[in-house]
Amino acid sequence: MSQGEILESMKAGAEKVAAVVAPAASLDEAITYAVNLTAEEGGTTMAAPGMEGEAREALASACAEKGIVLLESPLRAHMTGIHTAFTWADRGIADTGTLVLNSDSEELRLATMLSETHVAVLPTDKVVPDMDALEGYMSDHFKKGAGYVAFITGPSRTADIERILTIGVHGPERLHILLADLADGGDK
Amino acid sequence: MIHTPETDKAFKKQIKESLDKDFMRKTLNTFSVAYRQSRANAFAELDLDGLRNDVACMKDEGIPHLSELFDAFKKNAEAAGTVIHVARDADEANRIIAEIAKENNVKSIVKSKSMTAEETFLNDHLEKDGYEVVETDLGEWIIQMRHEGPSHMVMPAIHLSRYQVGELFSGVTARKQDPEDIEGLVKVARKELRPKFINADMGVSGGNFAIADTGAIGLVTNEGNARLTTTLPRVHVALMGFDKLVPDMAAAMKILKILPRNATGQALTSYVTWIKGTNECATGPSGRKVQHIVFLDNGRLELAKDPIFAEALRCIRCGACANVCPIYRMVGGHTFGHVYIGAIGLILTPFFHGKEKAREIVKCCLNCQSCKSVCPSKIDLPYLIKNVYAKVQDEDGKKPFKTRMTSMLLKNRRLFHAALKTASKIQGPATEGPYIRHLPTFLMGEHNFRRLPAIADRSLRDDWKKVKPKVTKPALKVALFGGCAGDFIYPEHGKAFARLCEAYNIAVDYPMDQTCCGLPTMMMAQMDTAKEIAAQNVKAFHAGNYDYIVTLCASCGSHIKENFPKLLTTKGAVPADVQAMADKLIDFSSFMNDVVKVKAEDFMNLGRKVTYHYPCHLVRGLDVTEAPMALLEKAGVNFTECDESQVCCGFSGSFSVDFPMISKNMLAHKLDNVEATQATTLVTDCPGCVLQLKGGIKARGMNVTVKHMAEVLLEEKK
Repeated sequence: MSQGEILESMKAGAEKVAAVVAPAASLDEAITYAVNLTAEEGGTTMAAPGMEGEAREALASACAEKGIVLLESPLRAHMTGIHTAFTWADRGIADTGTLVLNSDSEELRLATMLSETHVAVLPTDKVVPDMDALEGYMSDHFKKGAGYVAFITGPSRTADIERILTIGVHGPERLHILLADLADGGDK
Repeated sequence: MIHTPETDKAFKKQIKESLDKDFMRKTLNTFSVAYRQSRANAFAELDLDGLRNDVACMKDEGIPHLSELFDAFKKNAEAAGTVIHVARDADEANRIIAEIAKENNVKSIVKSKSMTAEETFLNDHLEKDGYEVVETDLGEWIIQMRHEGPSHMVMPAIHLSRYQVGELFSGVTARKQDPEDIEGLVKVARKELRPKFINADMGVSGGNFAIADTGAIGLVTNEGNARLTTTLPRVHVALMGFDKLVPDMAAAMKILKILPRNATGQALTSYVTWIKGTNECATGPSGRKVQHIVFLDNGRLELAKDPIFAEALRCIRCGACANVCPIYRMVGGHTFGHVYIGAIGLILTPFFHGKEKAREIVKCCLNCQSCKSVCPSKIDLPYLIKNVYAKVQDEDGKKPFKTRMTSMLLKNRRLFHAALKTASKIQGPATEGPYIRHLPTFLMGEHNFRRLPAIADRSLRDDWKKVKPKVTKPALKVALFGGCAGDFIYPEHGKAFARLCEAYNIAVDYPMDQTCCGLPTMMMAQMDTAKEIAAQNVKAFHAGNYDYIVTLCASCGSHIKENFPKLLTTKGAVPADVQAMADKLIDFSSFMNDVVKVKAEDFMNLGRKVTYHYPCHLVRGLDVTEAPMALLEKAGVNFTECDESQVCCGFSGSFSVDFPMISKNMLAHKLDNVEATQATTLVTDCPGCVLQLKGGIKARGMNVTVKHMAEVLLEEKK
């Protein structure tokens, strides 16, 4: 499978489970996307745990322009008011359209679990064709001490009432994946 | 909370009440049909059988070594700060968890879905100790508030309608909720439960995997509640059975590939959460989470050593055995199971909850093989159910009179066959053509949904000398396994087979020492009798050195092929003569199509309008689906497939006598589907199905003829 085919598969897999997939050519483009989306949805807050330095400064000024508050740590102080979580994904699993997030950081977990909308930047070179290709990453992650890894496939869902598929129970109601072809590999 | 009937009378009463639940039946019917399609779609591009074999092998390798896997897990998890506990039984597990709550000064607890916690009735225990316990999975929350157990392993509230949920939620919010707005109802849960998560001191989860070589656990969920349960509160307790231990990440991933696809037809659930040790937690002591994992034994480690039942520990809790079960579909999980429902529930109940809870439900299996055919870890569920039934009867020390009589009679072929002959003589005045005369309704009671056949005047064995094909220099030498119905009720099937063989130059023997295959005794859980009869049959066929042993009865065929080797295994090995009989056994349609290779030009085209019923034991027992279709095409009939052609007709031997209310409904469903095709001939490959279908058609007065495939081929033969 070529990387192009893998990305096609990732897009198809994620769209099948009601995620929105869009390209992002640069970090700035990703920031613009997340900020515009939040504003369109009428959101006024954003959490971007793990984003530091210049990236955070760029995000903060984009947020400010739209009147969006970029929430500061600790997020436990904002548990009922996180509209958008803006994060990086560590891996993508193409055939199921899954994001893999190293969630060791509690801040990252709070943001991705409690927000209404989750926008995740997925570097294209981190997408693997299927789960088998992820075994090494997972084993390595858990060979060290404590750890928390999340596989996220589409927004939160349930079919517990009359088997009718309904989106958005306890987790984010919307998931946007920004496939980013970043030269630096998209490290946080 | 959960009321599982412990007497025959109470069980039958509950079945009847369940059959009257129109909403539930409609939902489960729709689900059962939709599930088959979504499962097929989910596995479309995968090697399903390969995946199932992988999971079964991996589990089988682990089961004898659960203690070693546990030791490795404990070492790795403890190194990451987790406290590991072992609970010998449900009560100990509950006490350990209550103790953890007390030590940590916990007041409120949120829970994400855990079948193991249902098994131990953890909520009851914690509530009694004064803790607030809130289930956070939507379905579990609903049934918690209704004080019910789950009616499905994966969809706990599948038995409830939007109206019931709407009413419940109106109460919870003290505001009228619109039941037609399901999204709105779901949002009630989101809104009401969010503060519960935020304020909880402790989160209790289950776990789908405990990975020995790292000490991590895995949780497979859709709603996102397990993530919140394991993140927000400062204490996390995971309660898991020993059977959830797997050696490594690769093994967990093997299960993960098959679990959601087989459970709900999803390629993957929305969330899979992998957790190891005491993670960051701002409200925990020194900024870390307090994490405990409780491993529940509750009979599992004994089960792991059992030569027959250990297989049950392969279960990965996908719930598919209920999804495809025709009985579950009719009566729902509150009747078809105890805490664990469906086929695996019938098996696990006596081990986890005692034989009283299993005594009645374990009788309620058609042996239709549907569950086995979808089990992701290839558990022979119907076989284990019969063995559980035997175990319960042995422990009770009493067997029903009917069972003892049947067992006694079937062990002695001469006596059995003499009794049938006598019956054929004395039934004379009670017959009406080939049927038993219709008795007044008060005598027939619940059994009047079908007409029962009379025993033939002359059995197949009586006439065999005349019937035997006359061939010289035969191309093949085969033996016919008649089966009771083929021998004594429908000898015309065997005669049709003999005429066809004569036409194709095949020599056929009918070994006279053959007897009932023994499946009816296994259905009654008379395992010793089943073994004895199997051995008699092996002996009867051993001397002949046949190319094939053909049977016209799919049920006998699948019993011989699959259960004879299991029943007659001695010292871990299958004797050569038993294996030879199993290997040579072939069903009629496969024999004619794949071995004799009949051709289209051999047949006339009478143009009759035909539909086909797949016998359970043909399509799932013997894994044959193509041969009957190929034969009908070659015979040039005008074929229309009926809906759900592979679903059981409801016969299943003595099952239809013990549970007429279920058998009747299944038959009605089958005949509705047959009627819709407007076929005038209904063809099948098993005399048991012929009996049920003919009886139902006669009782309904339908204008449809039921034929065995052998009869159709002979009639169409040029």
